[in-house]
Amino acid sequence: MSLKRIDMARRLSLLALIGPNVVFIALFCAVPLGVLFSYSFFQVDFVAIIRDPTWDNYVRVLQNGTYMGLILKALLYGIGIAAICATIAYPLAFFIAKRVRVYKAALLTLLLIPLYTGDLIRIFAWRVVLGAEGVLNSFLLWLGIIKEPIWVLLFSPFATTVVLTYNYIPFMVLPLWAALEAMDDSYLEAAMDLGCRQLSVFFKVVLPLTGAGLVAGFLMVFVLVVGDYLTPQLIGGSSGVTVTSAIHDMFGAAFDWPTGSALAWLLLTAMALFITAVTWLFYKSPWGRGIRGAK
Amino acid sequence: MRFNGWAALRGYTFLVYAFVYLPIMLMGLFSLNSSDLIAFPLTGFTLDWYDQILHDSRIFTGLLTTMSVAFPVTLITTVFGSMAALALTRHKFKGKFAFLALLVLPFFVPKLIFAIAQVTFLNDIGVGKGLYTVWISQALIILPFVTVIIASVLFRVDKKLEEAAGDLGATPWQTFRLVTLPLMKNGILAGSFISFVLSNAEYTVSFFTSGRAQPLSVLVASDFRFHLSPSLNALAMLIVFFNILVVVISEWLRRRGVQPE
Repeated sequence: MSLKRIDMARRLSLLALIGPNVVFIALFCAVPLGVLFSYSFFQVDFVAIIRDPTWDNYVRVLQNGTYMGLILKALLYGIGIAAICATIAYPLAFFIAKRVRVYKAALLTLLLIPLYTGDLIRIFAWRVVLGAEGVLNSFLLWLGIIKEPIWVLLFSPFATTVVLTYNYIPFMVLPLWAALEAMDDSYLEAAMDLGCRQLSVFFKVVLPLTGAGLVAGFLMVFVLVVGDYLTPQLIGGSSGVTVTSAIHDMFGAAFDWPTGSALAWLLLTAMALFITAVTWLFYKSPWGRGIRGAK
Repeated sequence: MRFNGWAALRGYTFLVYAFVYLPIMLMGLFSLNSSDLIAFPLTGFTLDWYDQILHDSRIFTGLLTTMSVAFPVTLITTVFGSMAALALTRHKFKGKFAFLALLVLPFFVPKLIFAIAQVTFLNDIGVGKGLYTVWISQALIILPFVTVIIASVLFRVDKKLEEAAGDLGATPWQTFRLVTLPLMKNGILAGSFISFVLSNAEYTVSFFTSGRAQPLSVLVASDFRFHLSPSLNALAMLIVFFNILVVVISEWLRRRGVQPE
């Protein structure tokens, strides 16, 4: 075969590989999101959607303190839980990457298994643990450590924080582990030989060298927490009102698809802006040197 | 490496794993406890809750629906995921980043917004909900995971083997069929197993896109919103054990695919 024909064949095979994927995702994910976007400009009249474009929905949502507060709360929860996950995950990932030899694969798989059992079972398990008549309270009562069940264990921001951290910690451990695995140990040795103390080794050597993994994990956990709809609802009690549950209400009982769509698209925009800002800042920062390929 | 906190780190790692497995362990413990209440002290050993779940016809119907979703979803995601992984690891092309961004788009969109977009889309084109709407929406969400798993195997397959096949006169198709495919086989299997498990576990999207036939996860959700019963513990444990089995097999396959024998 001539080189030209081989080149042609490669191009065709590439087209055959990406074509169906692009069509599939564009048609069934991008187009539905576009349809949702179009709804955000419509109006609703009792039970009918009036397809007469207007900015009113956005104006109304932007002027509504409750909705804007819910978006802010979602973003803050995302940042907060991602930070907690990072704090818990760093030592763990460090240990698995640098100390564990034989059981490395087993430990990583073991970490992922709860993830594959699904949101529902994990939430169910935590309700069993944290409920007022649940395992933890009854255990403490039985031991005589407490006299009354601790009510705030379940249906509180505390419970939501615990379960969200629990849910998404694997998404932080894995990229951190991968980054630490790729990090050359001799940098650490050198830093310590030069008299750097352990804590400053972490901040001056480990953190900058694993920055990409940290940002990847942080953004994944952020996205998943902001988008989590079940956990706050089933665990958070009265504190469980989130922007996603508000959107859900507007598509359910309230039958206000246009306002719901506007709120959904504002949330998507806020998330996209945050992700872009973090990525850009990281790219420009000294930590992003590795990615930029600069010396 | 020279570092004097390894013992502390080992203890810490153990604690994190305890945190990760404690809820599941307790669920297992109480699925075997004879009391109606899920609370201490334990009252006695029983298998009644498992017996109850295994003879529940509603659960069985839900399980059938779950399976009739999981198999097609696994097929779709494995085929599309293999193609995407091949394109990402074996080709250089303009717009690779855009392609990657499109692939992970369903992961970055909150599940609820994704599900609602599906509902408005179906409403607009006038198509009713059914099993096939669940197939498509689940496949989109699971596709990024499957692609990453298959790509992780392909990344480590030596490209020189494929180049050698080409140099020796094999056509691209022959190279794929006789060299690449056997080498990525374990990755494909691992990806399909994970896809199957993720499909079983998926709730939010299934809830919105399923019609009359509801998968097990949707049935269970309506149960435990109102009433926590030990029989739900038993059901959850059965699902957990099944998932552990599938995940362990798939990881074993994937790692066997990575390390040349």
